[in-house]
Amino acid sequence: MSGEPAAATERLFFREAIGRALREEMRIDPRRIVMGQDVGAFGGSYREFEGLFAEFGASRVRDTPVAEAAMVGIGVGAAAAGLRPLVSVTYMDFIMLGLDPLVNYGAKLRYKTGGRLTAPVIVKTTSGARGQGVAHSQCVEAWLMSVPGLKVVAPSNPADAYGLMKAAFLEEGPIVYVDHKRLFPIPGEVPLAATVTPLGLAAVLRRGTDLTIVTHSFMTRTAMEAATAMSAQGVSCEVVDLRSLAPLDIATVSASVRRTGALLTLEEGQVTCGVGTEVAAQVQQRLGPIPVARVGALAAPVSSNPVLEAACLPDAPRVVSAAVALLGRRRSDAPRPVSRKS
Amino acid sequence: MDLIEALHSMMLIRAFETALARRSDHGFQLLSSGEEAVAVGVCSALTADDQLLTGGRSIGPALARGLAPDAVMAELLGKASGPNRGKGGRGHMSDASAGFFGAHAVVGGNISIAAGVALARSLGGEPGIVVILFGDGACGAGALHEVLNIAAIWTLPLLFVCNNNQLSVSTPRTAALAPKALSDLALAHGIRSASVDGMDVVAVHQAAAAASTAIKLGEGPAFLECTSWRFASHSTSTRETRGQAEMAAVLARCPIARLDAALSTSGALTPTIRADLERQVDAAVAKALAFADASPYPERDEATTDVG
Repeated sequence: MSGEPAAATERLFFREAIGRALREEMRIDPRRIVMGQDVGAFGGSYREFEGLFAEFGASRVRDTPVAEAAMVGIGVGAAAAGLRPLVSVTYMDFIMLGLDPLVNYGAKLRYKTGGRLTAPVIVKTTSGARGQGVAHSQCVEAWLMSVPGLKVVAPSNPADAYGLMKAAFLEEGPIVYVDHKRLFPIPGEVPLAATVTPLGLAAVLRRGTDLTIVTHSFMTRTAMEAATAMSAQGVSCEVVDLRSLAPLDIATVSASVRRTGALLTLEEGQVTCGVGTEVAAQVQQRLGPIPVARVGALAAPVSSNPVLEAACLPDAPRVVSAAVALLGRRRSDAPRPVSRKS
Repeated sequence: MDLIEALHSMMLIRAFETALARRSDHGFQLLSSGEEAVAVGVCSALTADDQLLTGGRSIGPALARGLAPDAVMAELLGKASGPNRGKGGRGHMSDASAGFFGAHAVVGGNISIAAGVALARSLGGEPGIVVILFGDGACGAGALHEVLNIAAIWTLPLLFVCNNNQLSVSTPRTAALAPKALSDLALAHGIRSASVDGMDVVAVHQAAAAASTAIKLGEGPAFLECTSWRFASHSTSTRETRGQAEMAAVLARCPIARLDAALSTSGALTPTIRADLERQVDAAVAKALAFADASPYPERDEATTDVG
């Protein structure tokens, strides 16, 4: 913010920001452990766990068999018994295998024990398409948002990747931390001081007056690209990065939409029952009818075929064209003479 | 092993479940009548440091672990005086402070949880073992097979106890599970395993105690199959599929009558002692019902408390 001295930062790749948060947290407390496929000496499929095995050893950085259901269940059970585990599910597509212990046990444990047990487990999983095909590309975070007792975050930049991981370790219950294949190699400034990004707090990344774009994770970059393109056409877009999907910061989104008067939601997952659908419904509950457009992947599997993958995923031109259509609709709606029958 | 105490414990479970089943205000219940020797035999081999987790058929195990009948009855009848304020209820009761980490009524769903509890123990250097009690139904589920493998490679202090009552609702074990003995499932992972007569509380106790000792010596997990017979249908709202002749043969295997006969023959159990045990059990059940009936339900507001 202007007027405040700029905090000292370091430049880290997204994957390094995750690693730094884990290193700091594991140094604080021996109960914090990491488990998953190839998290040990290999350092994680995206090198986000690099260095942890060397520092903390095989007991706290545990390679597991390919058994997501058991891994998530063991993480949930260990959390209920006093550890603070992070379970890595390499591809979000495979979180489906771990949903039974996560949803049926972890998310309900505090409730079903009358508050006597909780399962503070972090399930870190990687979403998004980058040429890996129909069962290694999905963004199913919207499924998880409807589970009472489960929190969901999805950072879009290294600072939040760091800050939300720090926040995840403060949670008393289960939380799913969604990162993204295309974000790992992206650099950004991360505060040198230990910093927590609070859950349930969206970030306004760009101010604008004509339209609010609400998004999260890698699509935040697509939204910013689209906003820049529209700016050249004289359309001023505000971009809100949700960061946290459950809890959802509908206050920040609503305040933005109240200013701009129109909402476009953007996600890489499906629009049907998607994050944007929920955002739009909650905003309209607060503000009444507003012009809304939802942009997401086409209603089809995401192929590893480069042409088909690109055709399926939302990109800046698709966002621009949806925004133009939305604003055109608003303009054509707005000046219409209204016959007042009082 | 105190055999009179074992008899008392089994009689309490039977009387408790019989009284509960007569009620109409509990929805339905998953009874373990007929399987008391598994619960009592295993729990009599445990110490205060150990933790027990179970599937949904958990009334017998909870009582055998030493949870107060008052509290168990209150929880099962949905009362706020239960250990989980009546919010867990049937199939989800828990009192970790009493060594009963809890029930979880997803078949096979508590097995990986138990392995996690065992991992926490192991990393924390805490004494005691973790016992996961599940039915033969869970032996067809992937969770068991995944966890057997991990428990073996991580030498977790985990005792797998399969209460093989030979029926998954109506489906016989022979139609659902390929292994000749369910304890064979452990062999592929190099896990110490045994199969015992689950209607013989002494045999169950001895096998559980031996397994527990081996686990505490650092030998890694163990697997115990206890073959039993369920006296009731799957749940109090499920129709019985077995005929009269079959049921008569099943009921003739009663683990309580079996221990009673053995103790009477040896002279350890006299009619006076038995009458005294019956009086104690009946009084405990009556007190539990009175306690539960006198307790309030949770307030409606509690539908949204302790959620997340």
